[in-house]
Amino acid sequence: MNTAATHPVAPEEIMAFFDGELDADQAQIVANHIDGCSECASIAGKFRGLSKSLTGWSISPVSQKLEEAVYDFASKISAKSKSRKASAPFRFSIWNWRLWAFGGMSAVTGVLLLVGFQILNIYHSDRVESEHSMAMMVSQKRGEESRSFVKAENKPQVMNSLETPSRADLRTSTGGGAPMSGAVGGIVSNAVAPPAASAPMIARTASLTITVKDLAAARTSLNAMLVHHHGYSAELTVESAANAPRSLTASLRIPASDLSNAMVDLKTLGHVEKESQSGEDVSQQHADLAERLKTARETEERFRGILQQRTGNISDVLEVEESIARVRGEIESMEAEQTGLEHRVDFATIDLELVEEYKEEIASASTAFSLRFHNAFVAGYRNAVGTVAGIFLFLVEYGLSILIWLAIIAFPAIFIWRRYRKARSRM
Amino acid sequence: MDGTIRRPGAAKPADESNDEELMVAYSHGSQDAFDELFLRYKQPLFGFFRRRVADPAQAEELTQESFIAVIRASSRYQPSALFRTYLYAIGLKILGAHRRKAAFRACFTGAPDNYQEPAALGNLETEYALRQAMGKLERLEREILLLREFEQLSYAEIAELLHLPVNTVRSRLFRARMALHRLLAASAPSSSAEQARIEERS
Repeated sequence: MNTAATHPVAPEEIMAFFDGELDADQAQIVANHIDGCSECASIAGKFRGLSKSLTGWSISPVSQKLEEAVYDFASKISAKSKSRKASAPFRFSIWNWRLWAFGGMSAVTGVLLLVGFQILNIYHSDRVESEHSMAMMVSQKRGEESRSFVKAENKPQVMNSLETPSRADLRTSTGGGAPMSGAVGGIVSNAVAPPAASAPMIARTASLTITVKDLAAARTSLNAMLVHHHGYSAELTVESAANAPRSLTASLRIPASDLSNAMVDLKTLGHVEKESQSGEDVSQQHADLAERLKTARETEERFRGILQQRTGNISDVLEVEESIARVRGEIESMEAEQTGLEHRVDFATIDLELVEEYKEEIASASTAFSLRFHNAFVAGYRNAVGTVAGIFLFLVEYGLSILIWLAIIAFPAIFIWRRYRKARSRM
Repeated sequence: MDGTIRRPGAAKPADESNDEELMVAYSHGSQDAFDELFLRYKQPLFGFFRRRVADPAQAEELTQESFIAVIRASSRYQPSALFRTYLYAIGLKILGAHRRKAAFRACFTGAPDNYQEPAALGNLETEYALRQAMGKLERLEREILLLREFEQLSYAEIAELLHLPVNTVRSRLFRARMALHRLLAASAPSSSAEQARIEERS
């Protein structure tokens, strides 16, 4: 029905006119045209006739059941909303006294909780402080005793019964490795017991983290301090990574008697970030070791006495020699352990970490960025290749299985989809 | 309206209030406003579903569901569009959900044996012919035609409901009307035969 060439109005415009969708001017034009054009009047007649025939499609009235159901539901909803409004505890208004009361109580509760926490915190810190000061006092006392031992070692003197024997004496009496006579063994037993009771052996350790301005200068000073305090560095590591502060980590061994002085000197290297000290009582461990050593030496002496008598046959002699060798090995092992233990006591360990103050350099930033960009690009390329390779490998590994499963699933899926479409088209 | 149940003690709302004012009043708690809205739209909305769903009981259920949706969403109602458009939009959504569920069920169970087009339940020849012809229209064109002819929506309202340009609505409506006219003209003899069959049965 192409009337655009011969008629000034299109059939769609006639329909729009019929539906009242045109403005007044256009409606007037269409109306005038329909009056003078029988063909367009016929189209308008079709629309009128169609609408008239559609009015024949009548619908039965709504059932009472539907009305009751909707009214019931509306009543329930209305009752619920009313009860919700009625039972509302309070409205949020700044003049509502309940709001102020609630806010005030909350504030008071918060203040009380804060005060309670502060009191607990103060009490806890007092306890920690008192325990720490007691520990420091004990530590200082032990340090003084340790220094007196060192003095005694350097300047041997006759001890009276009230003086505590030095560990140098102890070492002389318990170590040495030479075969000891029964009389020497008696000295050991007399010398070991008293120090364990009166002068505990403490293996002291400390750790320091210090920020220094110049790491090279600090290292030079550190070497000088080690010489001054007769200590040495058991382990030392220097790290100098790019775009990061340089650092030095060392495990220092300082004579225990000089630990406090060494710590004071080390702190002059820079700003102390962290410091800690601890001590381990190894007296009992040392006494046990001395007792076992004494017993082993006595056993060895007895075996040697048996060997000197040579009353048995050759096999007995060989057996005694084997026993002597075994006991000798045990003695040497225990002596080494004892030496190590005494060394731990004689030389305190300081775990030192020196970190240089780091200043970022602007000039190096651009270089670093280009390097990082290059690395990022390479990493990105590798990731992309890895992803593609992963997908390819996945398809190689599972592709065939996926195709088989798709083929199995496709038929019922297509069947269900077609039924669904068919059912939808009927509605 | 006939057959209307008025809630006891409910005051009669002002007839001059428009739909949007009534809906706003209901959202503020006026039960009478809802009563008036229900009176105005219960039959049109039932007709909306009845012309699209075969089973009258299902049409009633969908009508009820639509009004319940309106009640539930009343607190969020904003009078930005005509209430009529708002109501039919809800109806279309509920109808779409119903059709999807029914089609999904039909995938596995098939169409029910007693499935009949709505017209088969009617007694009038014209009505039957109309339903048959409507069923043959393309779905979107049929929907546009129904919304225009029975719900009396303007082109703009139909475009808003179906998310289409107004020009598309106009051209599709024109095609639907032409197609329906042809179908009705073609089915006139068969309609007469059907009428004769119905008369014989009665």
